[in-house]
Amino acid sequence: MLEENFLMGEQLLDPADYDFPALKKAFNMDREEVIQEIKDSGLKGRGGAGFPTGLKWELGYKEKSDEKYMICNADEGEPGTFKDRYLMENRPLLVIEGIITAAYAVNAQKGFIYIRGEYFDSIKIIDKLIDNMYKEDVLGQDILGSDFSFDLRLVKGAGAYVCGDETSLLNSIEGKRGASRIKPPYPIQKGLFEQPTVVNNVETLSSAARIIAEGASLYSAMGSKNSRGTKLVCLSGDINEPGVYEVEFGAQTIKEIIEQDGKGIKGGSDLRFVVPGGVSTAVLDKSEIDIPYTYEDLEKAGSSLGSGAIIAVGQEHDLVDLMLNVSRFFMDETCGTCFPCREGNRQINRILRKYKATFSIQEKEIIQDVGETIRLAARCGLGQSSLNFINSIMEKYEDELGIKEVLEV
Amino acid sequence: MISLIIDGQEVKVEEGTTILEAAREAHINIPTLCYDEELSIFGGCRLCVVEIAGQNILKPACATVVQEEMEVTTHSAKISRVRQNLFELIIASHNISCELNCMTCRRASNCELRKVAEDIGLEKVRLDPIDKGYQKDESSYSIVREPDKCITCGRCIRKCEEIQGVGIFTTADRGPATEVTTFSDKGLGNVECTNCGQCIHTCPTGALHEVYHFDNVWDELNDPEKHVIVQTAPAVRVALSEPFAEIDSPTTTGQMVAALFRLGFDRVFDTNFTADLTIMEEGTELINRIENGKNLPLFTSCSPGWIKFIEHFYPDYLDHLSSCKSPQQMFGALGKTYYAEKNDIDPENIVVVSVMPCTAKKYEAARPEMNSDVDYVLTTRELARMIKAAGIDLPHLEERDFDRMLGVSSGAGNIFGASGGVMEAALRTAYELITGEELEKLDFEMVRGLPGIKKAEVEINGLPLKAAVAHGLGNARKLMERIKDGEEYHFVEFMACPGGCIGGGGQPIPTNEEVRQKRIDAIYELDRNKKLRKSHENPLIQKLYEEFLEKPGSHKAHELLHTEYKERGI
Ligand SMILES: Cc1cc2nc3c(=O)[nH]c(=O)nc-3n(C[C@H](O)[C@H](O)[C@H](O)COP(=O)(O)O)c2cc1C
Ligand code: SF4
Ligand code: SF4
Ligand code: SF4
Ligand code: SF4
Repeated sequence: MLEENFLMGEQLLDPADYDFPALKKAFNMDREEVIQEIKDSGLKGRGGAGFPTGLKWELGYKEKSDEKYMICNADEGEPGTFKDRYLMENRPLLVIEGIITAAYAVNAQKGFIYIRGEYFDSIKIIDKLIDNMYKEDVLGQDILGSDFSFDLRLVKGAGAYVCGDETSLLNSIEGKRGASRIKPPYPIQKGLFEQPTVVNNVETLSSAARIIAEGASLYSAMGSKNSRGTKLVCLSGDINEPGVYEVEFGAQTIKEIIEQDGKGIKGGSDLRFVVPGGVSTAVLDKSEIDIPYTYEDLEKAGSSLGSGAIIAVGQEHDLVDLMLNVSRFFMDETCGTCFPCREGNRQINRILRKYKATFSIQEKEIIQDVGETIRLAARCGLGQSSLNFINSIMEKYEDELGIKEVLEV
Repeated sequence: MISLIIDGQEVKVEEGTTILEAAREAHINIPTLCYDEELSIFGGCRLCVVEIAGQNILKPACATVVQEEMEVTTHSAKISRVRQNLFELIIASHNISCELNCMTCRRASNCELRKVAEDIGLEKVRLDPIDKGYQKDESSYSIVREPDKCITCGRCIRKCEEIQGVGIFTTADRGPATEVTTFSDKGLGNVECTNCGQCIHTCPTGALHEVYHFDNVWDELNDPEKHVIVQTAPAVRVALSEPFAEIDSPTTTGQMVAALFRLGFDRVFDTNFTADLTIMEEGTELINRIENGKNLPLFTSCSPGWIKFIEHFYPDYLDHLSSCKSPQQMFGALGKTYYAEKNDIDPENIVVVSVMPCTAKKYEAARPEMNSDVDYVLTTRELARMIKAAGIDLPHLEERDFDRMLGVSSGAGNIFGASGGVMEAALRTAYELITGEELEKLDFEMVRGLPGIKKAEVEINGLPLKAAVAHGLGNARKLMERIKDGEEYHFVEFMACPGGCIGGGGQPIPTNEEVRQKRIDAIYELDRNKKLRKSHENPLIQKLYEEFLEKPGSHKAHELLHTEYKERGI
C-alpha cells in the first residue's frame, strides 16, 4: 500500500479550481525537455503493451508533418479493467492536462479522446469539462497565454473490444469498420487520416501530467529497475474489497496486493488462481503469486501485467465454464478479418462447449495446436493473446480437468 | 536494391518489395488465399506467414516489406504446422458436407483451396465443418453467391471496389457472425451490381459463379421440335483452349465451331457478324450526331456491364449512349426475324443461344425490352464444361467453318473482343464512309493494349475526331469524371471488364494480366490474317441491308436493332 498516492486522490472536476501545474511548467520548457523528463521518469504505456512513453513521444515529435494528432485511448474494454473510468470520473482534469501536455510535446494540433460507449458518466463528465476548458482558455487558441493551440474532441466508442487496439480505434474515428490495420505503417508514421498520430492510454497520460508537475526523479525513485513509478490495479473476482488501488511497482507481491488492498478472498474460501493482467494473460496458480508486482517478474512467471486487472478466482468455479466464458468473449470480439483468430476462436469455443463433460487428449491437442497457430499468425494483439488464459488453465489444471485419452473410433 | 536471405539463398530486390514478391522472384512458392496481385493487401488468411530471424511471432509475407540483411525462412516444421492448422480452420469454415463437395462444385478445376491443400501437403482435417445456415443468393440474373463456400477472404470486396469502382460487397458484423455480403444483405440482384463478373475471377473458392444456363441448353438440344442456333462472341475463341491443357494455340475457332455442331446445334453462327452490323448502325449514328452536333460524345453500348453502370451512376448521360443494341442482341433479333423468314422456320421454334465471355450478357438477355430474343447465354467456362461433359475431344477435332448466313465477318468484328476494338472498327468504317477514300493504314495502335484510358485523334475530312477508350469500370468512372469536368470527345468506347471482353467475367479462370495480354495478341492476329477487315465491306452485311433492313438507321433497323435505357438509381 502506498503511503501517499501519486495518481489517485480527491475529485478534480472544476477547471476554475485547478492550477494546471503540468501545463504551466511544460509551456516554459522546450518540447525536447518535456520529452526528456518523461524519458527520465521511466514511464511505460499503461494500455497493455508497456511501450516506453518518452520514446513514443520522441518518435512522434520527430515525424515531420503539418498535421499531427494526439489521441487518448479511453476505450477500456478489457474485462476486469476499470481504472481509466476511475480517472475520468474522479481526476478528469489530470487526464486532459495529460493529453494537452503530450500534444504540446509532440506538437499535435488536434486530438481526440475515444471513450468506451458504455461509460455514460465518464462521457458526461469529460464532455462538460472540455466545454469548460475551452471557456477557460485551457483548450483552443493560445492555451493559458502560451503560443500553443490545441483542439480536443470527444468520440464515443463503438462498443467493440477490438476498437481499443490503436489501429482499429483510428479506423473507428475515421468512420470505418472497427478492424485492425496492418502494421507497419505504425500510427506514429501514418495514423489518423494518414497523419502522424500518437496514441496513449488514459492512465499513461494522467501519470505524465503528474510527472511533469512533480519532476521525473520523484517518479523514477519509485518502483523497480524496469517498472518505475506506480500503477493503478483493478482488483476483482472473489475478493472482499474489489476496486481500484494504486500500488508502487515491486513494493508488494501479488499475494500481498490481494490480501492487503483487497482484504483477501471472499467468504474465507480458498484462492485457486489469479489472472494477473486481464483475460488476455496467462493465469498464475496460487502457488505462483508470491512474486513482486512488476512487468519483469510477471513476464518471468510466464504471464504479463496487461492493463492492470487482477482477477482472483476461488476454488468453487468450474474450470470449463471459466474457459467457455473467456472463449466466448474472444470469439465474439474478433473483428473477423483474419482466419486464425476468427475461425480458431470459433472452433475452440465449439470444442469447449461440446466436450464439457469429457475432455480428450485429442481435443486438448487441437486446442493447443489452434492456440499456437493463433498466437503465431494472428494479425493483431487481440488474436495473438486470445488463448493465453485457456492454454494456461489446460496446462496447469490438466488433472482436475480430467483430460483423458479417448480411443479414436 | 536490398539484399536479404530467403531460405538460405541470397536474394536482391528493389526497395519496397514485400517478402512474398521477393520469394516469387526467387522462385519460392509461398501459399496465399486472400492475396491477389492486382488488389490491395489484406493480410487475413495468414497462410503466407514466414519466420524472420530474431522475431518471436511469424510475419505475413504479403504485408512485410524486405529489409537489408533480413533472414527469412518460408518453409519449416513450425511454419508447416501453422499452415496446416490454418488450413484446417479455413476448410472447416467452408461448409463441405455430402451435398456440397468438390465432386459437384463447379469451381473444382480452378479452386485455390484445393491447390493450397496440395501445396502445403495437408495431412489431416480434424475439425467439423460449420454450417452457418446461409442461403444461396440467387437474386441476380448473372451471378450466384454461395456463402456456405465463402471463406471471407475479402478479395471480391477489393476487386469490385478497387478495380471496378462499384463497391457492392462489404464485411458485415464481427466475431463468428462476420460475413461478406451485399448492402443490407439485399442480394446481388437488388443492388447496383453491374453483373460484370470480375469478382468471380478473384474468388478463390466456389462461392461466386455465374447463373448456369447449360442445363436448359441441354434440354433444348434434346428437344427435336426445337431449331437451336448458336452465336459465339469474338473473345470466346481466343480463350476456349485454356481449359484444355493439351492445346498450344490460343485460338480454336474451327475446333470450337466443330464442337458446337457435335453438341447438336442446328446452326453455328458468329457474333462477329452482328459486330460488323453494329459498326454500320453505330457508325451512322456517330456521323449523324457529329453533323447535328447533338449528344456528343457518343458512348458505345455493347458492354452490358457498362450499361448498367451508367444507368445507376451517371443517368444524366444516358442520351449519350448509342441506341444500338449489343451485337448479341442484334443477333437475337435477326435470328427470330430475318433468319426465320429466309429459312421458313417458325420463330416460336427457334432457340437462340449465345456463347459469351461475359456474365452481364445473361442479365442483358433478360432485360424486358429485349423480348427474349436471346434465350440462353453460356459463358466460355460453361461451354468448356459442356464440351467435356459430352466427351468431345476438342484438341483433336477437325476444324469447321461457321454457317454463312449470319456467320461471315470481317477482322473489324473480331477485334470487338479487345479494349479499343470497337473504336478501331468504327474508325475504319466511319473514315471511309465520310471521306469516300480508302484508309491507308488500318491499324489504330493508340487505342490498343492494356493502359486503362487511351486517347486518339483522327483527322477525318478536316475534322479532328477526338476519341477515348476506357476499360474496367474503375477507369470508366475516372473517364466519366473527366468528361463531367469538361474534357471533350466525339466518341468514347467503354468496356466494363479490364482488357475488354477478352477479360470478361465468363472467361476461363485464371484471368490475369498475362492471360489477358495473350488473348489480346491472339485477337489482333486473327484480324491481321483476314482479307476482309472492314465491316462495311462484309458482303453478307450488304446483302442483309439489301434484302431486309434497307439501309443503316432505317425504320426497320431501328425497330430491330436499337433500344433504350433507364435510370436505375443508387
Ligand atoms: C485488442 C486490443 C485491445 C486494446 N484495448 C485497449 C484499451 O482498451 N485501452 C488502451 O489504452 N489500450 C488498449 N490496447 C492497446 C493499444 O493498442 C495501444 O497500445 C495503447 O493505447 C497505447 O497507449 P500506451 O502506450 O499509453 O499504453 C489494446 C490493444 C489490443 C490489441
Ligand atoms: S487477430 Fe482477431 S481481432 Fe485481430 S485482426 Fe485478426 S480477427 Fe481481427
Ligand atoms: S470451392 Fe473448392 S474446396 Fe470448396 S467445394 Fe468447391 S472445389 Fe471443393
Ligand atoms: S459482378 Fe462486377 S459489379 Fe457485380 S459485384 Fe461482381 S465485380 Fe462488382
Ligand atoms: S465470395 Fe469469394 S472472394 Fe468474396 S470473400 Fe468469399 S471467398 Fe473471398
